[in-house]
Amino acid sequence: MPTPLLLTPIPEDQLLRVLWDDDTLNDYSFAYLRGWCPCAVCQGHGAERHFIEVENPQLVSINMVGNYAVNPTWDDGHETGIYTYAYLRNLGESQDNRHGHKNPEGTH
Amino acid sequence: MGEHNTPDIHTRITERLRHIQYPGSQRDIVTLGLIGKVQAQADSAIVHIRASSIKEDVLRHLRGRITQELTTLPEIVHVHIHAFPAQTGQPDQGGKAGNQAVRERADIPGVRRILAVASGKGGVGKSTVAVNLALALASLGHKVGLLDADIYGPSVPLMMGTDATPRAGQDKKIYPVEKYGVSLISMGFFLDDQSPVIWRGPIVMSIIRQFLRDVIWSELDYLVVDLPPGTGDIALTLAQEVPLHGGVVVTTPQDVALLDVQRGISMFKQVNVPLLGVIENMSFYECPVCHEKEEIFGHGGARKTGLKVLGEVPLVEEVRAGADAGKPVVVSAPDHPVAQEFFGIARQVVATEEMQLPQSVH
Repeated sequence: MPTPLLLTPIPEDQLLRVLWDDDTLNDYSFAYLRGWCPCAVCQGHGAERHFIEVENPQLVSINMVGNYAVNPTWDDGHETGIYTYAYLRNLGESQDNRHGHKNPEGTH
Repeated sequence: MGEHNTPDIHTRITERLRHIQYPGSQRDIVTLGLIGKVQAQADSAIVHIRASSIKEDVLRHLRGRITQELTTLPEIVHVHIHAFPAQTGQPDQGGKAGNQAVRERADIPGVRRILAVASGKGGVGKSTVAVNLALALASLGHKVGLLDADIYGPSVPLMMGTDATPRAGQDKKIYPVEKYGVSLISMGFFLDDQSPVIWRGPIVMSIIRQFLRDVIWSELDYLVVDLPPGTGDIALTLAQEVPLHGGVVVTTPQDVALLDVQRGISMFKQVNVPLLGVIENMSFYECPVCHEKEEIFGHGGARKTGLKVLGEVPLVEEVRAGADAGKPVVVSAPDHPVAQEFFGIARQVVATEEMQLPQSVH
């Protein structure tokens, strides 16, 4: 499983930059990352993932979760999203641009 | 961010910084976004390193490299570096927007490695294995702690032969109970024998957090965690709360146990915990009179998992009696073949685990 070596929020560019241990570099705009929050509050219990529109979300902090995930806290207090490394990697790969809203599963 | 492409001092500083690779990567620290504001004043360069998940030792290395690179510029004599490393600690204190903090995995101070002992189902002798493994590691000269994470059915106190009450320290901290050279904590120390634990998940999770954070573990080479059976709240809390360095799964040889052991294995995979191997318990019964081996639960189940088999522990009276009497076989009869099997397992855990220590920076 690819593992992040370094996570750097870059507030000036409104993005989170992630360096993976295979040297892949991914940028995630805050809106994109917030939008694909995998938590049950955002996604409910259906099979399909939805993009959650949030206006100008600001990343407050990120916590590392054990060996396998990251957990961002947003300025609206939302902090229930646990992004596994695999999911985060997927998000990075399916993102056609920094502000793209493409489905991370690659389906529609 | 657009600096003008003039060969002014800022540009040349940034250009020098681009020569610095991030350890473990081919990429440079400017590309990674680590460098924030760069200033030059008289003969000084001021470099701001952004808050990130950077580790303390990497930051120290980069500070040295930055100073080294920038002082090659003729006009720079002094280099000031402002850095915000990852904060460690519990993720409770909220930060302010615009001041992003990345909090690293919060290790337990002084604890070098955390090993989880799990099983997909109950009744396979997981606690017996955890207790003897902890004692075997201690006998090999390691400092060992044992955390009984089975809140609903704690059995470590009985097996270790102690019902001492942990001493209270300062700031609501508690000292673990010491027995046979191992530091212990268990819900059993806080209950009388009759009272059941009737709690919902969130309370149990907070107990696990306290066992990890509020117990004064001091210096340990290994903290062995005896997980409750299955793949529920407690296992998940543990995996989320601390970086686990390895997991072992205990099983019995029959096929129906294997079905469940697969779940235990998948759990470790999902939370990215290296699986050190499988321990087959109640592997066979050796007749004490004629020494014929009888494979009551079938044969070679653990091997069917395709994982490394760390040991096959036979079903013998001494193991059961030792556990019930509070004198585990590794302590009561260290020369017994079963105790020897546990020592073998412990040695393999040490050997496997040495290779899988979290990658450090060179």
